[in-house]
Amino acid sequence: MRLKDMSTSKWTGIALYIGSMLLLMEWVLPLGQVTDTGGTHLFIIYIVFCFVISLIQLPMWVAPVLKLTGLMFLLNYIFYEPSFFSLAWLGELLVDLQTSSQALLGQSWIELTPVFRTVLFLILLWMMSYLLYYWFVVVKRPFSFVLLTFVYVTALDTFTLYDGYVAIVRVFVISVLILILANMNRIVDQEDIKVPSGRKMAKWIAPMAVVVFISAAVGFAAPKFEPQWPDPVSFIQAAGQNGFGSGDGSGAGVNRVGYGEHDDRLGGGFIMDDTTVFFATATSPRYWKVETKDQYTGHGWVRSDEGTPTTNESGHFPHISDYGESVERNETEAELQFIDPGHLNKIPYLYGTETVGTTVDGASFYYNHTTGELASIINEEQNLVDEGYYLEAGRPDFPRNAMREVPVEHEESDEMPERYLQLPDDLPERVSNLAEEIVSDVDENRYDYARAIESYFEDSGFEYATSDVSIPGDDEDYVDQFLFDTQRGYCDNYSTSMVVMLRSLDIPARWAKGFTGGERAFQQDVFPGEGSNVFEVQNNNAHSWVEVYFPEVGWVPFEPTIGFENQANFSTGESIDDILDEDRNEDDPLEAPENEDQSDMDDLLDEGNESEEDETVGAIGQDGNFNWLHLLAITIGTLLTIWLTYMYRSRITASWKEQKLKRKPSAKTITKSYQFILKLLEREGYQFQSGETLREYAYNVDRMLGDRQMTELTQYYERFVYREEDLNQESDQFYQTWRKLTKQILSK
Amino acid sequence: MNQQMAKQQTKINELVENIEKVMVGKREAIELTIVALLAQGHVLLEDVPGVGKTMLVRALAKSVDLQFSRIQFTPDLLPSDVTGVSIYNQKEMKFEFQPGPIMGNIVLADEINRTSPKTQSALLESMEEKHITVDGVTMRLNDPFFVLATQNPIEYEGTYPLPEAQLDRFLLKLKMGYPLKQEEITMLDRTSNVHPIDTLTPVMTREELLEKQNEVRDVHVSDSIKKYIVEIVSNTRKNPLIQLGASPRASIALMKAAQAYAYIHGRDYTVPDDVKYMAPHVLSHRLLLTSEAKFEGKTDKQILEDLIKKTMIPIERGS
Repeated sequence: MRLKDMSTSKWTGIALYIGSMLLLMEWVLPLGQVTDTGGTHLFIIYIVFCFVISLIQLPMWVAPVLKLTGLMFLLNYIFYEPSFFSLAWLGELLVDLQTSSQALLGQSWIELTPVFRTVLFLILLWMMSYLLYYWFVVVKRPFSFVLLTFVYVTALDTFTLYDGYVAIVRVFVISVLILILANMNRIVDQEDIKVPSGRKMAKWIAPMAVVVFISAAVGFAAPKFEPQWPDPVSFIQAAGQNGFGSGDGSGAGVNRVGYGEHDDRLGGGFIMDDTTVFFATATSPRYWKVETKDQYTGHGWVRSDEGTPTTNESGHFPHISDYGESVERNETEAELQFIDPGHLNKIPYLYGTETVGTTVDGASFYYNHTTGELASIINEEQNLVDEGYYLEAGRPDFPRNAMREVPVEHEESDEMPERYLQLPDDLPERVSNLAEEIVSDVDENRYDYARAIESYFEDSGFEYATSDVSIPGDDEDYVDQFLFDTQRGYCDNYSTSMVVMLRSLDIPARWAKGFTGGERAFQQDVFPGEGSNVFEVQNNNAHSWVEVYFPEVGWVPFEPTIGFENQANFSTGESIDDILDEDRNEDDPLEAPENEDQSDMDDLLDEGNESEEDETVGAIGQDGNFNWLHLLAITIGTLLTIWLTYMYRSRITASWKEQKLKRKPSAKTITKSYQFILKLLEREGYQFQSGETLREYAYNVDRMLGDRQMTELTQYYERFVYREEDLNQESDQFYQTWRKLTKQILSK
Repeated sequence: MNQQMAKQQTKINELVENIEKVMVGKREAIELTIVALLAQGHVLLEDVPGVGKTMLVRALAKSVDLQFSRIQFTPDLLPSDVTGVSIYNQKEMKFEFQPGPIMGNIVLADEINRTSPKTQSALLESMEEKHITVDGVTMRLNDPFFVLATQNPIEYEGTYPLPEAQLDRFLLKLKMGYPLKQEEITMLDRTSNVHPIDTLTPVMTREELLEKQNEVRDVHVSDSIKKYIVEIVSNTRKNPLIQLGASPRASIALMKAAQAYAYIHGRDYTVPDDVKYMAPHVLSHRLLLTSEAKFEGKTDKQILEDLIKKTMIPIERGS
């Protein structure tokens, strides 16, 4: 029996220690992301190494030697060229350590070498393996470390870019298991309980697994409050002027808004970032184009052809605006001054730009007609200059009538590469079906089709949102999910969906990226009488839209995103209906909104309100398909809670009564506690016979249970009832006996 | 209090063990006798001759160092043979009272149902009143005063059954029963040389006994227990098998007996177990069964046991 006990506590010890190792790993994992620590996997390996050695319980002197050897091996692997066994590197290491130790003593922290820091960190991990062994296995008090881990992960999640979404679930599951095991271990020790084996053990483990699984699942699926305060990360970063945003829609999780390079995995919400990217001096806030992408993968955008840039020192690129003759042009100028471009190393430009220039000597420019990228080359490197740029543009006025004459489907004579019609093979059919449905009662021409799809989203109750935007799974299509499942998203969702639907109708289209016009930086006119103003373009203004190809006209921008306005000019049609119809797309400089790129046109004010309302409703209704899942989870959770409460009602009442008895052993409490025992026993099948005295009953119960606790308890109770004296000093003995007996009955 | 109680219990145990030297395997009867002694009640022993009734009383008297007297009841015994008689002393020229056997501390009234009711009542009245009146002079009986009356079962011929009112005056009615074979052998062994009663030495003084009798009165009887006692007694009056139930005097007797029983078990408070245990002994001789019950062959003990089983036992304060 004793041997068996020992082995049980040994196994729980091992389990606890492994749990502590997993928790320690959760400490190391985020380091790569939140600090400049590299090679976290090597540290993880070292942790596992140290823990395994501790677990084996080698003789006193072997373990440290092994751990030190592991440390040295790792150092050699990371920092030194010569092989581990050559020993030549040891000299270097010693020199390193020596200089660093001196620097340490001299408090010149900056001189500490990476080798030294790594050595210190590895030693820390080594020590942790000892410390955790002591905490978890020897004294069996894991709670403080568990709590610290939670604090650590949540703090990192809150204050850094680290996303603890999955980590917190892992930590939760590990922690709960650890706490349960540790508690069990303690109870077994204290109460001297025989540890069950086989089926009884399974009976014991099953509820534990169920509890852990259910609580994790319910916690995961349950609706959560929105954050009660704005995410501090952007503030922290703004404070540190540290803008290294990963970009607008570069992939998984919540991103910071801003211009980014990677669009191959779109989706997920983002957080606002008001870092200024550049100031632009212009007559009105226009879209700033940076580049276009042509190939839709089902999850995002990539380029099928990187193109060949043309380099030009003068900065004159008539190609940028190779519009057809039917397009009228208005001369305009603009200036750009970069403040914090982050990852942006290309020059944003206006539609119709012909010339770009800078005051810096020796700068040349290149333009890539395929990708639409414009950049400056300084000292043979693609770079943006602090001095800024000026742009000369002939702003296009797209002729609506001419565009209406373009047939819907792409023709060979368009001389347009097929890649602008590309669609992934596994694009769900319902996307193209929807496109066809949208245009079913529209005049059959390319322009009207494009307009119909552009306005579809706003007319069909789609919702503009930057948070809670889903990321499609590997087997889901980004556009399909947005159009049919979530109907909630931001520019990337709308623009990508429009391009894909247009292409499904055989209309050449591509995806354009850049910035919206930004906000006026100053209330007063900076250049009175000149009609130009300074606009501040922030990371928040990063945007994406659609370009549709019209033969004889060129690439025409469209704006499907709800709340955004197409800033391009379209020349007025002849019929008055046309004017009314297209009014919202007109851009009369006199009436143009000064700084708003959101829906601020007079007739759109109402719609703006509506869209706000929609958002509120949407927040409650959430995404239709998740609703029933939540409901199901909550129902199952509630039912399980009820069931568990019913199953464990005796235990729950017992612990409640125990507290009461311990705190305030009044006459009533004592009577109730004793009667509770009688009830428990009755439930266990020890029926109280009529005419049976407490003494006789207790004797019979004890004979069944195999000890004398009921008799002992009954003696106290008899004295209390029949002698009519308060228990006073005996109340503690009564409590202790009561507690033991309750546990014994409940463990039956 | 507890320590004192423990001391008392040891003393009582000594007494019981002392008597057990003579009475083999009769612990229950010994205990009950002591209960009656401590509760200041009297015992009616109903059994066949030769099972040790006399020996029990003698052993008790010897152990407590009390004056023992014995009255052998015969049909021709007169009341004055019990109480004593005044005889004219010619030398002194006056009547002198010659005390009868009742003037002892422990009185064995052997075969009480063999004598005439007149003599019986002389004894029974003195038991209750604790004094006697002879020739116009009232005399107090000794303290303690304990009567142990024996009677042969009523079926035997030539007996005068005690009337119900008289029976009520006994606290308990006991039956000795035959000893087990092994016990009987032990008994033979012990009596082979000297009779053990001759070697018995007192383990308690008269004063100690009186003190204990006083202490028994102080044993706590909670309200719930009192209610339980009354409940049992009143149930005997409702039972269809019982023609005449127990009297209120029975309630008092049951309480006293329970007190004494709790006392000899080292408690200064009574528990329902005391009442439950004592009830058949206290009540069985106070009931008059209906002829149906007799016809069905039910004994008073059985009926009482059923009745007690059906009575709710208090398990809370003041209930």
